[in-house]
Amino acid sequence: MKLRNQKVFVAMRLAWFTVQVLVFARAISYIVTRTVENYTGGAEYYYFYILGVYTTLLYSTSIARGYMVAEEFDDGIVEYHLSLPVKRNTLAIGRVLGGGVSTLIFTLPMMIIVYTVLRVRDPVVVAISLASALVFSAGVVSLVILLVFTIKSTDLTDIIVGAIDALLVRLSTVFYPLPVIASTGIAPYYVAAILNPISHMSDFLRILVFPEYYLVAPYGPLASILYLVGFSMGLLLLAIEFYEKKLEAGGWR
Amino acid sequence: MKSKAIEIVNFTKKFGEFTAVNNLSLDIYENEIFGLLGPNGSGKTTTLLTIATVYKPTSGDIYVYGHSVTREDYEVRKLVGIAFQEPKAMWIDKPVDLLTWHARVVGYSREEAKRVVREVMELLGLWEHRNKYFYQLSGGTRKKVELAKVLIQKPRIAILDEPTAQVDVLSKHALWDVIKKLRSEGTTVIIATNDMFEVERVCERVAIIYRGELRALGTISELKDSVPKGDIIEIQIQGELRGIEALRELEVFGRVSVNLDTITIYSDRAEEKVVDVIDALRKRGLQVKRIMVKEPSLDDVFTYLTGAKLRE
Repeated sequence: MKLRNQKVFVAMRLAWFTVQVLVFARAISYIVTRTVENYTGGAEYYYFYILGVYTTLLYSTSIARGYMVAEEFDDGIVEYHLSLPVKRNTLAIGRVLGGGVSTLIFTLPMMIIVYTVLRVRDPVVVAISLASALVFSAGVVSLVILLVFTIKSTDLTDIIVGAIDALLVRLSTVFYPLPVIASTGIAPYYVAAILNPISHMSDFLRILVFPEYYLVAPYGPLASILYLVGFSMGLLLLAIEFYEKKLEAGGWR
Repeated sequence: MKSKAIEIVNFTKKFGEFTAVNNLSLDIYENEIFGLLGPNGSGKTTTLLTIATVYKPTSGDIYVYGHSVTREDYEVRKLVGIAFQEPKAMWIDKPVDLLTWHARVVGYSREEAKRVVREVMELLGLWEHRNKYFYQLSGGTRKKVELAKVLIQKPRIAILDEPTAQVDVLSKHALWDVIKKLRSEGTTVIIATNDMFEVERVCERVAIIYRGELRALGTISELKDSVPKGDIIEIQIQGELRGIEALRELEVFGRVSVNLDTITIYSDRAEEKVVDVIDALRKRGLQVKRIMVKEPSLDDVFTYLTGAKLRE
């Protein structure tokens, strides 16, 4: 219902994403020297980059969707949801997964563009990519809900989420391969990147799409997916706890 | 013996330091239309939202058909439907989508949901507005959409928070009929309102709440009878009133005031005293042109109980 009413938003994002993938990503790829392939397991940087761009978009859209769920606290819709004949844990899972699924729908056209450019035709790879994107997105949506509840102000959350957004994306492997980050010799940067769920999401997709990246990645696909599942499940359980024990209309303030 | 649908036991709700409801205890019986009467901010909505498990009691408890709102909230929600004071929808929602979603959540199949939504929307005169956005609807129409949720749900207990606020007079009467029909189909209805006329027109029993505390509970006539000397006997005399001093003996019936050709007596159980009043006047040679007995309004009852006006 809400997705249908945001056609313009989706169209603008899609247009910008298409230009970034087909024009700017090519330009960046030309600038980057061939030596980078030593850090990507031999894959072209272009491939590396556009999967990173897709992950960034997945992350920022998840933040936006999570924020829309959290805004229901301000708008009073939460009172209506809390009065429905639904168990609190079902409501929490529904809100989180709903945010995740709508993120997936929003970003599906972008994934199609990236996978078309990368000539990914294996339905198993596509299915696993979608499933992992949903897991990742659900975790981010839960994180935003919990942040709004903890900070108790959507305005302040706006600022904090913006700051976290900027930091998390930069301290990840979306644009720079982990071996490059390691070679900077800045230990906190490396540790932040390796603990960052955005790194695991983008690297998991890379290993799925061009397995040669696995040769240089410091963690395998199993470790990444377990990390993502742990990240999302942990935050989802906290979100359920919040819905069951702490949330009541008005009382969240 | 009437069976209890809701039992409120020493219910207190605080928001930080502010006490919204203080130690409220009362019972609501099955299949009655029960009114919570009080001015804005008196604790009516807080009580209703706690019955609907949207709030949690700070202390005390509320039992809905024996289920505690604190320990068995899901069981309670299966029994309760609520129409909120402020309609709840996103501004981009369309009534038909919102109500269909609601119908699906409360357990209708896809086909049944379509049918029941159309039925209820037609009943409330909403069908023509089905595809407008929520922000395009008038306040009264939004309230009808809110009420439609409850009619679709057909809960055992319907909670209506100021159901006819912002609704035009003609529609109000239609909605009151709908509420009565809901009760006749077996639903217990609880209405929070500060509209005295609505209470008198619809409710069977009323609780008066003021500043979070219960001030009175009973049928409307019981509440009116609780005001001492609240009845008014108004007598218009044929011709000119003379010899006011002679009317002093009317004071046995209550406090007397005289204005031009009208005598007003403030009394208890006025209807039982009217004949004696007329006799007393005839003995004084006064002809009664018109006599009227008025009982106190709920506003008078409220003022007597709280010292405040209902719409303060």
